[in-house]
Amino acid sequence: MSSQNDKLLIDVGSTYFKVCVTSDAPERRQLEQHFRNFNQTILDDLMHKCGHTISSFDHDDVFICSSANGGLSTLIIGLTHTFSLKYATNIAFNSGINIIDTILYQDLDSATVPSDLIDVVIIAGGINSKGDAFADDLYQYLHNVNYSNIVYVGNELDAANAKAQLPELVILPNIIDDRLHIIEEDLKAYLTNLYQQDIMGKEDIKDLYQISSNQIFSTPYIVNQTLPLIDASYSVVNPFILLDIGGATTDIHYSKDLVEENMVTNNEFDRLVFKKLGVYKSRESLIFNAKNNEFVYELLMHLGVTENIFEEQSDKATRILMQLAIFLVLCKMSHYREAYTNLKLTAVKSIVLTGGVTKVLKQEEVDDIIGFFFTKILTSKHRPVTIMDTDYSIWTLGSRVQDVNLREQ
Amino acid sequence: MKVVTGVIGNDIHVVANRLIDLSLKARGYEVFNLGVNTYLEEFFDAVIETDADILLISSLNGEAEGWGREVKALKAEYKGLDKLIMMIGGNLTVGAGKAEDIIPKYKSYGFDLVCHQIDLNTGLDMLADYIKEKSA
Repeated sequence: MSSQNDKLLIDVGSTYFKVCVTSDAPERRQLEQHFRNFNQTILDDLMHKCGHTISSFDHDDVFICSSANGGLSTLIIGLTHTFSLKYATNIAFNSGINIIDTILYQDLDSATVPSDLIDVVIIAGGINSKGDAFADDLYQYLHNVNYSNIVYVGNELDAANAKAQLPELVILPNIIDDRLHIIEEDLKAYLTNLYQQDIMGKEDIKDLYQISSNQIFSTPYIVNQTLPLIDASYSVVNPFILLDIGGATTDIHYSKDLVEENMVTNNEFDRLVFKKLGVYKSRESLIFNAKNNEFVYELLMHLGVTENIFEEQSDKATRILMQLAIFLVLCKMSHYREAYTNLKLTAVKSIVLTGGVTKVLKQEEVDDIIGFFFTKILTSKHRPVTIMDTDYSIWTLGSRVQDVNLREQ
Repeated sequence: MKVVTGVIGNDIHVVANRLIDLSLKARGYEVFNLGVNTYLEEFFDAVIETDADILLISSLNGEAEGWGREVKALKAEYKGLDKLIMMIGGNLTVGAGKAEDIIPKYKSYGFDLVCHQIDLNTGLDMLADYIKEKSA
């Protein structure tokens, strides 16, 4: 039986789930990780593999987070790349959203209408004194888009007309202030709520309330809670980046000090997701990305393998793919390959790795690939300290912080 | 009137940028100052977001010479910038150069007003005269 201070933390990912017992007594602490069985519901799979542990906890002491809802799909329509689209994208990523498509409003006439259902459409653009930023073509386009939610965070002058055209539209304060700075809070709260509702609405996740009486949170939200406290678990030197490389996606959380642009926010940390960089569910797109990188063959040679490794299904192939994922993510964040934002990677003091990658790669394999990246792509001798979160301390700490926060409310 | 301003390229002459900001405000303009190290696309994007009437780019280390060549092509990618007044000022060449050579070159890049090595107030007087002339 669990003691009074023991907690059971469960993280349900797209590929694995992790079950962790935290306790004041070291002998009771334990961590299990299991590959998910996709032929079973999450609850059945959990109970089959960890039923004994789960049954020994009261529902009040079980805390669950999940990123297994597939994420929300978002379409952002904005006036410019530098301001409205970039600001809305930044807020969406920080709200835990993974799938983001953007359309520049002036290119709307040549934009294709998405065939899939969009979870949320975001319209952004203009400071409050700019009116007539959006015309009828926007509403005609949206008429053809299949979406569940739509939110307007653009200039105030166009808001009334937008509402008249789209009665279901939610109007929030502009995300651009009169000095062209970003205002995050309202859109972030709205999107975080939607994400939360989406997780809770999934039948598979709903089942999990049979074992926990606490709210189920999204995993990116939990990890984000941990970042300001990360030095409680590791001697991380700021500025740092945290790479969460898993089966379906790669999440990056980074110190704002590393961002070169003049996007002034209150957050200490931002998040960015590469939705098709993972070694299981996104294996094919990871390989596609790798083959399109001009340095990849040099990298494979450096690792002592050929491109035939992409066809293999072995532990070695998984290790190489994980190394490739680290390399590609760093490339995308550097000036070499432009993501929506670039980081000053030569200023990074620490790189923290968490997620499935820590179970596959050894410290020296990670150091090797990071060294290759800094030498080859950045032509720099700089070497950040790499830290492997092998026992998922970051996620555990985040869940416990959430537990404390809930109790204080 | 609304003015978007900033220092172009890898140029960190922040004092000049601040003086331009203050002088424009003193003359009654609504100023959107993008600061130093600003890229061309950011200038045009700021014009779109603010509905600015004037774009005033400054360059103190001569970098504008490289960026200036891109102005026409980039501006053509935007819709709705036809009425924008384009002005550039500062030290617009690397090394020595004569204003009579530099000004026509920048006008060919698409700038309406070019102020090479002239003092700020004279440049802003030129802007005021140009606006008056245009609206007459």
